[in-house]
Amino acid sequence: MIIDLVGFLVSLIFLIVVIDLMRRRLLLEQYALFWLGMGIVLTILSVSPGLLNRVAKVLGIYYAPSLLFLVGFLFMLGTMLHLTVVLSRLTNRTVRLTQELGMLKSQLEMADHRTALTERSEPLSNG
Amino acid sequence: MKEALVIIPALNEERSVGNVVRSILSSCPMVDVIVISDGSTDQTAIVAREAGAKVVELPVNLGIGGAMQTGYLYAWRAGYHYAIQIDADGQHDPADLPKLLDEMGRGDADMIVGSRYVERTAYRSSASRRVGMVMLATLIRMAVGYPIKDTTSGYRIVNHKTIELFSRFYPHDYPEVEVLVLLHRHRLRIREVAVEMKERQAGRSSITMMRSAYYMFKVSLAILLEVMRGKEARREGKS
Repeated sequence: MIIDLVGFLVSLIFLIVVIDLMRRRLLLEQYALFWLGMGIVLTILSVSPGLLNRVAKVLGIYYAPSLLFLVGFLFMLGTMLHLTVVLSRLTNRTVRLTQELGMLKSQLEMADHRTALTERSEPLSNG
Repeated sequence: MKEALVIIPALNEERSVGNVVRSILSSCPMVDVIVISDGSTDQTAIVAREAGAKVVELPVNLGIGGAMQTGYLYAWRAGYHYAIQIDADGQHDPADLPKLLDEMGRGDADMIVGSRYVERTAYRSSASRRVGMVMLATLIRMAVGYPIKDTTSGYRIVNHKTIELFSRFYPHDYPEVEVLVLLHRHRLRIREVAVEMKERQAGRSSITMMRSAYYMFKVSLAILLEVMRGKEARREGKS
């Protein structure tokens, strides 16, 4: 059936895109693992409709392709939760970095100010 | 260096921050003032510096919690004994500062809240706002076990123990109420003292009608989460 071929091609392209993003360092390995796992599972399921049917039967799912949706949906849910955890961690880090940067800047300005003052007063005290 | 640091977070408050800094320094010469310019795009930092404050300019806007924590981080590293937070919009009267410092000097509290409701003062607010305040006060009473009347007041003085805690943990947004439970969780004591509150000189409250429902939900959730985190073990060795 043509849908099997389309499913296979889409899964394969997805897998290739993920690996290429990792190769070009646009995707950190730790986050890519999710997508890699999803790509592999989708590819395996799409090349063997028999496997999909069997797993669906074991789980008591009458319409096998809906198992694909279920797996995909759970994957998305997990990934999005993971993403917001990562985002929260990033937020905390950004806040601390910004605070440190602001304080460093203020210290630097004060140091510059002091240097300027001593440079101006030195010729006077020597002469 | 002075013994106490007044922290003023300010976002685009060039019109009022100068007056606030000057009136603090004139009514209470025994404090240093630091203005945290939270990614301001106007002259806030320059005006504050000219008025005699130390200034930390944050390169991006962090929101009230992140800005306030910068002040506490500064106070902790510089070794101040006390830190006082005060709004840049002019609703807190610097004339109450010596009173807050005196009360802190008694050493029976780790944070003192400048409160509108302890004694009868000139402050009035809308009915819906008062309902919200009462709800928050009830929640806080259940969470900490004793009454704190003005839970949302941003006029506060803390000692060095609390400065240390705030330099590590400080809520990101709407921090005032959540902080009360945070302190209780770390076995730190809170007390209230009556202060005068004026109408704001400039700017609007960060809590508009549209946001008040979200505010109540967010703050209640934060209180619940703080309670769920449980009490910290008493840390020995540190005074």
